[in-house]
Amino acid sequence: MTQRIQTMPTQLVNQIAAGEVVERPASVVKELLENALDAGATDIHIDVEQGGIKLIRLSDNGCGIHKDDLVLSLSPHATSKIHQIDDLERVTSLGFRGEALPSIASVSQLTLVSRQHDSDHAWQLDMHNSVASAIIPAAHTPGTRIEVRDLFFNVPARRKFLRTEKTEFAHLEDVVKRMALSHFEVGMTLVHNQRMVKQFLPAMQRLQQEKRIAQVCGPAFIEQAVYTDFSYEDKRLWGWIALPTFSRSQADMQYFYVNGRVVKDRLVTHAVRQAYADVLFHGRHPAYVLFLEIDPASVDVNAHPGKHEVRFRQSRQVHDFLFKTIYKTLAEVRPENNNSHDAGHFSSAINVQGEASAAAPVPATGSACHGSHYQTSVPAANQQNLSLAIAEQQQGYQTLFHQARDLAGSQPQSEPEIPPLGFARAQLHGIYIVAENAQGMVLVDMHAAHERITYERLKQASEHAGIQSQPLLVPVTLAVSQREADLVETQPTIFQQLGFELDRNAEESICIRQIPVVLANSDTEALLRDVLSDLLRHGSSERIHEAINEVLSTMACHGSVRANRKLTLAEMDALLRDMERTDRSGQCNHGRPTWIQLTMAELDKWFKRGQ
Amino acid sequence: MKFKIEKETLLQPLQQIIGAVEKKQTMPALSNVLIRATEDAITFTATDLEIELISQLAMIIDQPGEITLPARKLLDICKSLNNNAIIQFSINDNKALIQSSKSRFTLTTLPAADFPSLESIDNVQSITITQNLLHDLIDKTAFAMAQQDVRYYLNGLMLEVSTNVLTAVATDGHRLAYAKKEIDYEAVDIKQIILPRKGVLELMRLLNNSDETVTLNIGTNHLQIQFNTIQLTSKLIDGRFPDYNRVMPVELDNIILADREQLRAALMRASILSNEKYRGIRLILRKNLMLLQAQNPDQEEADIEVEVDYNGDDIEIGFNVNYMLDVLNVCDSTIIQLALHDSNSSFLLSYPDQQDAKYVIMPMRL
Repeated sequence: MTQRIQTMPTQLVNQIAAGEVVERPASVVKELLENALDAGATDIHIDVEQGGIKLIRLSDNGCGIHKDDLVLSLSPHATSKIHQIDDLERVTSLGFRGEALPSIASVSQLTLVSRQHDSDHAWQLDMHNSVASAIIPAAHTPGTRIEVRDLFFNVPARRKFLRTEKTEFAHLEDVVKRMALSHFEVGMTLVHNQRMVKQFLPAMQRLQQEKRIAQVCGPAFIEQAVYTDFSYEDKRLWGWIALPTFSRSQADMQYFYVNGRVVKDRLVTHAVRQAYADVLFHGRHPAYVLFLEIDPASVDVNAHPGKHEVRFRQSRQVHDFLFKTIYKTLAEVRPENNNSHDAGHFSSAINVQGEASAAAPVPATGSACHGSHYQTSVPAANQQNLSLAIAEQQQGYQTLFHQARDLAGSQPQSEPEIPPLGFARAQLHGIYIVAENAQGMVLVDMHAAHERITYERLKQASEHAGIQSQPLLVPVTLAVSQREADLVETQPTIFQQLGFELDRNAEESICIRQIPVVLANSDTEALLRDVLSDLLRHGSSERIHEAINEVLSTMACHGSVRANRKLTLAEMDALLRDMERTDRSGQCNHGRPTWIQLTMAELDKWFKRGQ
Repeated sequence: MKFKIEKETLLQPLQQIIGAVEKKQTMPALSNVLIRATEDAITFTATDLEIELISQLAMIIDQPGEITLPARKLLDICKSLNNNAIIQFSINDNKALIQSSKSRFTLTTLPAADFPSLESIDNVQSITITQNLLHDLIDKTAFAMAQQDVRYYLNGLMLEVSTNVLTAVATDGHRLAYAKKEIDYEAVDIKQIILPRKGVLELMRLLNNSDETVTLNIGTNHLQIQFNTIQLTSKLIDGRFPDYNRVMPVELDNIILADREQLRAALMRASILSNEKYRGIRLILRKNLMLLQAQNPDQEEADIEVEVDYNGDDIEIGFNVNYMLDVLNVCDSTIIQLALHDSNSSFLLSYPDQQDAKYVIMPMRL
């Protein structure tokens, strides 16, 4: 017997839609948070029980929903955010599909309480077992509260796939953290099983914002991050990127936002990786919190129901913009701005800590970094005193620091010349240079530093000279796919610019007639295959430049002073001055750090001076 | 096994075969030398599974037998003994005992059965030539072999046997060296083999510039070279060598004749300021004048003029100076001929008025 075709009931439609957007408690929170933010809330409170499986209650102080719209808000494809197709072209709100609330309502017991600012009380709507109750008056401050109970109570298949309470909560917390970074001006509180887990105060100032980032990414991140803010045409990229020394073994500390929207995009990852290519230790991942502001009309956010992915109208330009901004920022990290940043941050972190502890009894993470630093460097027996002494200590440091800063501030006038990396004092075991600067002591890995300087010089020289190419006496024939061969035939200039000369022999075979001189001794065949596949997939390839840089890097390594070479003070000073002038001198070619600063304050801490 | 031998007598065969012993390998037997003693002769064998070297000594043996023991240690012990020392060699309980006057050494051994032997060679064609002929042929070409190139067939020397002619060709893809010699041989058809780099280098070590003869036994997968007391067997590279005839430039209308020593010295001078990595230098040709220019990344420059015999067009061409120097280092004539068509095509170096050795170099686009 054949099955007849019939329209599905609304309930079923919603449940299917829920399959796309509501995967686990974390996705519910994401949708609800987005709604709250779209409603213009400035304070959001999230209450969770049993990892969100039992209850998710989210209250905000946003604009609220009109009494008459309450029922409509829970019906599919109803939204206040867009009205016509043109609005979809330039979406400025986080949500727009009109799917989230009805989907959530279809797989849970939902209560919606909302009060608009001009009404005198709130109205409540319950949706239990997918049946909407009557709208009754309720008590609530202006804003909206949504309670989602017993998620997936009617979808056993989904419930079976939920993990432990702990895991689900970890995902949920991650979502809250991500969203917290996207809207600094909004305060957020996360409570799990009646216990306060996270509190983010509204952060309008950069210092407060940095504190919020420290709460999410850990204090070490913000200590080692540089702030960047760069605009070009209609695009602006700002945020914090971690120095290459602060790399991660996993790509887990990468926060990227396009117009306030959390985005995980291949294009973005690719651009960032390329920018870090030269300075990151092999197999490590960069950490960053970046915000891209771009004309909404040139982004298509309607690419995926979860909206993690976006499409850029001009992906090539966006890629280049990201790459160039980050590359430039990393290149410009010089000893001087680094120090001033560190110093500023150190003193400010203490100030912020003072305020925070006065305002709320939350353990302020802002100072935890200094605390932990301290713990690692003193014997365990002394740790008990730590909590008692910390306030005094900080005061001590603060005054010390002010003195130090005053000193540093007055010095430039009297004694104009103390370079950022200071003057060399000695050489340690033929490996490290010990130098003294205004902040304290600087240790430099001599070989690593010189290697970077030589490398940058070689790179500049090779860019200056252009790519020289070597025709082959015996051309190499390469079997490729037809698409790749087409590419070679239609776009010969790409390869010519890179120093290659390629011909097509047959349908699926190309012939290498000329290669860049630098790569004469490398495996050109394999390189070219990678380049072709890159070109087909991304439309561009940096591999040849990478391969060339690799050769230069090896040359630089061999051409630099090795460990155990005794240097005179004058030679060491010359190296320090070179470092101050060189791009990316903070890392050697392999991403290892080249120098560290030990400030007087840190040294004092070890010797318990000024306690 | 037991025998007595003079230090110098033992040292020579050990030094001849030690080249085949790899310093690092996974098979313990490969770091050993196989010593096989019969009633009236003793042979030493070393192999790395690609080449095998066997050296034979005729002498009276007290007690025959066969055993393998660490090659490098045996050689070092042997070298360190006094001149004219007499070495007493014996095997006891799987240990080798070496005694010489007041020194005693005990070395670990492995049974001879564990020692890998190369497969036997088949389809043999044999050619007998003098050592100096073979030496000359390889010396003129071997420098152009590729080193660890992915095109494995370039990592060796191509030998071609045809009636009365033995040809050697080597190329690394950027330059090519070609040499041929007349021999006395009736070939059934033209046969090409590629002798791997290591085999070539070991062969060069064994060859000397004498009139003694060597026999080349060419099999399907092996080349065996039989000296008087030494035998070198090498596997062959299984691949097709590029057709060297197609690489030879034609239309060489601009011919330069230069003094070899003078040109070599000038190139050496110019190379000091060429880029360390690419070694590119520029050659500018005017009537009876050759100008060499080099420039390095620090913008330092060298300009060297060389007087030559030239009546062709004004040409500028860039190339890797090492390639040219390699050729001039192996040439033995006083005058060298350079022939080219234009600045984009390969050029040919040869002796004037003869075709025995030819070198092709690809220009570089500077």
